[in-house]
Amino acid sequence: MAEPLLRVENLKTQFFTDAGTVRAVDGISFEVHEGEIVGLVGESGAGKSVASMSLLRLIESPGEIVGGEITYKGETIFGLEEGPDGDLQRRDDMLSNEEMRTRIRGNEIAVIFQDPMESLNPVFTVGGQLREFIELNRDLAKREAKREAIRMLREVGIPDPEQRYEEYPHQFSGGMRQRVLIAMALACEPSLIIADEPTTALDVTVEGQIIELVDDLQEKYGTSFIWVTHDMGVVAEICDRVNVMYLGEIVEQAPVDDLFHATKHPYTNALLNSMPRPDRTVEELDPIEGVMPEAISPPSGCRFHPRCPDAREVCQRVHPEAKVVDQADGHSHRAACVKHDVFDAGYDESVPLEAEPQVTAGTPGGGEDR
Amino acid sequence: MGLLRYTVARLIQAIPVLIGITVITFILANLAPGDPVRLMLQGQQVDQEVIERVEQQYGLDRPIHERYVTYMANLLQGDLGHSIQRDRPVTDLVVQRAGPTLMLVVSAYAFALITAIPLGILAATRRNEPADHISRIVALLGVSTPSFWIGIMLILVFAIQLGVLPSSGLVYPWWGPDHYGYSGYPELLYQTIRHLLLPMVALGTLQMATLMRVERTQMIESLQGEYVKLARAYGVPERTILRKHAFQVAQLPIITIVGLNLSTALGGAVLIEYVFNINGLGRLLLEAIIGLDYQLIMGITVVIGTMFVIGVIITDISYAYIDPRVTYGDRE
Amino acid sequence: MAIGESQLDGDGGPSEDVEAQFGWRYTFGKVMQDTTARWGLYVVAFVLFVSAYTMVDSNLSRLTFGAVSDFAMAEALPIFDHPERIPPPGEIEGNVPPAFHVDGTLSHPLGTDPDGRDYFTRIVYGAQVSVSVGIVSTLIGFVGGTIVGAVSGFYGGRVDDVLMRLVETVYAIPPLILIIVFTVFISGGTPDITYAIIGVGITFIPVFARIIRSEVLSVREMDYIEAAKASGVKNRNIIRRHVIPNSFAPVLVYATLQIGVTILIVAGLSFLGFGAQPPTPDWGQMLNVSHGYMHSNVWLSIWPGMAILVTIMGFNLFGDGLQDALDPRTND
Repeated sequence: MAEPLLRVENLKTQFFTDAGTVRAVDGISFEVHEGEIVGLVGESGAGKSVASMSLLRLIESPGEIVGGEITYKGETIFGLEEGPDGDLQRRDDMLSNEEMRTRIRGNEIAVIFQDPMESLNPVFTVGGQLREFIELNRDLAKREAKREAIRMLREVGIPDPEQRYEEYPHQFSGGMRQRVLIAMALACEPSLIIADEPTTALDVTVEGQIIELVDDLQEKYGTSFIWVTHDMGVVAEICDRVNVMYLGEIVEQAPVDDLFHATKHPYTNALLNSMPRPDRTVEELDPIEGVMPEAISPPSGCRFHPRCPDAREVCQRVHPEAKVVDQADGHSHRAACVKHDVFDAGYDESVPLEAEPQVTAGTPGGGEDR
Repeated sequence: MGLLRYTVARLIQAIPVLIGITVITFILANLAPGDPVRLMLQGQQVDQEVIERVEQQYGLDRPIHERYVTYMANLLQGDLGHSIQRDRPVTDLVVQRAGPTLMLVVSAYAFALITAIPLGILAATRRNEPADHISRIVALLGVSTPSFWIGIMLILVFAIQLGVLPSSGLVYPWWGPDHYGYSGYPELLYQTIRHLLLPMVALGTLQMATLMRVERTQMIESLQGEYVKLARAYGVPERTILRKHAFQVAQLPIITIVGLNLSTALGGAVLIEYVFNINGLGRLLLEAIIGLDYQLIMGITVVIGTMFVIGVIITDISYAYIDPRVTYGDRE
Repeated sequence: MAIGESQLDGDGGPSEDVEAQFGWRYTFGKVMQDTTARWGLYVVAFVLFVSAYTMVDSNLSRLTFGAVSDFAMAEALPIFDHPERIPPPGEIEGNVPPAFHVDGTLSHPLGTDPDGRDYFTRIVYGAQVSVSVGIVSTLIGFVGGTIVGAVSGFYGGRVDDVLMRLVETVYAIPPLILIIVFTVFISGGTPDITYAIIGVGITFIPVFARIIRSEVLSVREMDYIEAAKASGVKNRNIIRRHVIPNSFAPVLVYATLQIGVTILIVAGLSFLGFGAQPPTPDWGQMLNVSHGYMHSNVWLSIWPGMAILVTIMGFNLFGDGLQDALDPRTND
C-alpha cells in the first residue's frame, strides 16, 4: 500500500492541571490515506477533539503533546528522540512553529469546527474572512482572492454569493454558516481537512444536506477528511474507515462495513445499540450504562470494563492494546478487547463481573445480532 | 442605510429622557423648604412688597405645573432662564462655560483610552506575569483614589515641588494666541497642552483604571473565542490575531463603558475644575449653588444631563458602526 | 452560583435559612481562598475596628472635635498612652510637621493641623465618619432600591415601564451633580453631612432598583413563585418572602462595591464643602481645609487622601473577591 498521507503513531497529549495530569489522548495510532474519509468516533470527552488539534500542534497551555510521532507527507509534524543526556527532546526534522503556521495550517491541513455560530468573527464580513484565509494560504492578490472566495461560496451552495460576500455572519443561518466554513476549508486547497463535529450543532435536515455536500466535494477535489463525530449514523453515511475512541484510546479500528457488521469491541457494539434506527422502536434502544469516567483517573485494566456488559474479572487487571483481530479488503481490523483469542489473557476462564448486562447486549463476539 | 436609520431612532429614543431630566431638575428646585425668594435674598431684610414683586417677576406665585410649562416653552427657544446672581441669561453663561468642561472631559478620555487599551492588551497577553500584576495594581489604585486628591498630589509634585507645570486655569485655544500674548499658534498649542496635562490626568485616571480592567477581561475572553481558534488553524500570524481578530470584538464593551462612565467623568469634572481653578460648568454650578441661583442651577443640570445623553448616543452609534449586529439586528 | 442554586433547589420555604447559611459559609470560604479578597477583608475589618473604637472612646472624640482650648482638658488616651502627646495648656502649636520631618515631634506622628489639633487622631476619627456615611447611605439606596426594583420587576407592565423610565432619567444626571443639587435644595442652602447621606442614599436607589429588578425578573419565572401564586398567597407576601430573599446575593456584592463608591462620593462632597462641616474630622473635609495650605503644609493634603485610598481599596478588593466567589463562571 502507498505511503499514507498522514500517519499518527502512539500520540499522547496531556493536560497538566492543578487537579492532576489529564491523559486526554493516550497513545493513539492511525493513518489517513489520500482521498479517504476517516472517522474518529466516541462520546464527548473521549479525546477526539484534542487528538485532531494535536495534528495541527494547536494544543493550548496547560495541554501539551508529550509523546508519539505525527508524519504528514513525509514531514515530521511532531517527533521526539532521545537526547544525549537520555531525556526526550524534539527531533531536528520536526517542523518549526513558523513552518507549521505558514506551510501546514490552512494550506495543507484545514479545519471545520463544530460551532458555526461561534467560529465566524461577528464583526467582519463573511467574504472578508474567507478572503483573508485565501490570501494567506494561497498567495493570491486581493482581487483574485475575492473572486476565488465568491466562487467557493457558490460551490458550497450559497445563493447570491456576490451579495452574501458582503454580509455579516449573523445574517446567515446555522447551515449557511457551516457552508461558509466548508468553503473556507476547501478554498485553501488543503490535502486534508479535519472536520470536528461539523454537523452536531445543526438541524437533522441541514445535517443531511451538509453531509451530501461534503461527499460531493470530497469526490470532486479528492481531499482526505478526518471526520470527528459521536454519531454512528453519520459515520455510516460518510466514512471509509473508522477509529472508535474511548477515554483517550482507540479501542477499535476498522473499515466502516466491518465495524458495523462484524463489530469486535463491546464499546462499539454499545454505541451501535444506543443509536436510533428505523427498524427498531424506542423501547429497543439500549443506552450505554453509566457515564464515561474522567480521563484524569481512568479505571484499571480495560478502561471500559466498569460499563462493559461483557466484563470479566480479567478485564480489571489486563490493559489491552489494540491488536489485529481480523483482515478485510486489505485493511486490518483492530480491537482492544481481551475477549479475542489473540490477546490470550484467559478471558474465557475468567469470572464474569457483577451488573449483569441486558438482553440485547452481545455474548462474547457479539454485535452480529441484526 | 441601516446606520442612519439607527441614528435617527436613537435620537428619538432620547427625547423622553431629556424631558425627564427637566422634570427631575424642576422638581428638585421646588423641593426646597421655605420660601425660595427669601433663600435667594439670604436673610436680607426686605419688605413683603419686594418679595411679592420678585415672586411675580419669576412667576413663583403661579402653580408648579404652569411654571414648568413656561420653563419648557422657553427652553425650547433656547432660553434657560435668568441668573439672579449675575443678572445675565443662563444660556449665555452656560455656553461660555461649556467649552472648558468639554475640553477637560474629552482630553481625559483621550488620555484614558490611549493608556488603557495597550496596557489592558499587554496584561491580557501576559496573563499572570509581572506586567499583568503591575497593571492590576495600577487599576486597583486608579479606581480607589479620589480624583480630586490625585489632582492635589499632582499639583504638589509638578507645580509646587518641581515647578514644571501650571497648577491652575486652562488655556483655551479658541481664544487665539493674541488674547494670551503668545507668539503664535505653536506656543498656543504648547501652552494649551501644558495647562491641560495635570487636570487631564487627574480626571482620566479613574477612567483609565476602569477601561484597563475591562480591556483585559475582554481581550482574554476574545482570545479564547472560537474565531481565534479558527484563525490560528488557518495559519493567521499571532500578531494579526491580536490586532485584528481578537481586538475588534473586545472593543465593543469598551465603547459601552466609555458612554456610561461619561456620567462619572462629568461629575468628576466639578471636582477637578474646583481643584485646578478651571472656569467650566462645574465651577459655575458650585458658584450658583453657593448663591442659591435657582435658574442657573437648573440650567447647568439640564445642560450636563443633555451632554451625557448626547455622549451615550455617540457611543451607541460608534458601537453600531463596529458591530453590524446592532443595525441589522432583527434580520436572520 | 453558590447561594442562588442552593435556594433555587428549595421550595422557598422554611429550609431556606439553613441553605442560605451553607451558602454564606461557602462564599466566605471562597473569599478567603483568594489572596487579594482576603487582604480586602482584612483592610475592611481594620477600618471597621478603628471606627468602632473611635465611637467608644470619648476622649478621642473630644480631642478631634474640640477647639484648640479643649486640649487643656484632655486626659491621657488609653491606646495612645504617651503623656507627652497631650500638650500642656498654653503650648498648643498649629502646623507642626509629621514626626519624620526635622521639625517634627513624636507626640504628633502626623503633625498637627492649623488649629493645633493632632492630625493622627483626626485621621483615625475620620474612619468613623467615612464608614458610617458609606454604610448608612448605601443602606438607604439598598432598601429603597430593593422595594422599587422588586415592585417593578414583579408587577411588570405599566408600573415597570414608568419606574424604569424614571430610573433611566435619573441615570442621565451625573450622580455627583445630582447629589450636590439635591443636598443643597433639601437642606435649604445649609448643607450638612446628614443631608449628604440622605442625598447619596436616594440618588443610588435607581442603581439598586435596576439590579434588583433584573434579578427579580429571573426569579419570577421560577416554579415556586407560580406555586405560591396558584395557592393564593398575596402578592405582597410573595415579594417579601420569596422574591427578595432569592434575588439577594448579587445585590449584596454590588452593595459592598457601592460602599467604596459612596465613600468616594461623600469625600468629594465634603471636599467641595457640601458634606461634613467643620469641626467634624471627615477626610474629604480635611482635604478641603488643607487645600488652602498646599504651599506651606504639604502633609495636610497627603494623609487624608491616603486614608481614603486605603479604605476604598479595601472595599474594592473585598467586593471583587465576593464577586468572584459568587460568579457562576468561576465555580465549577
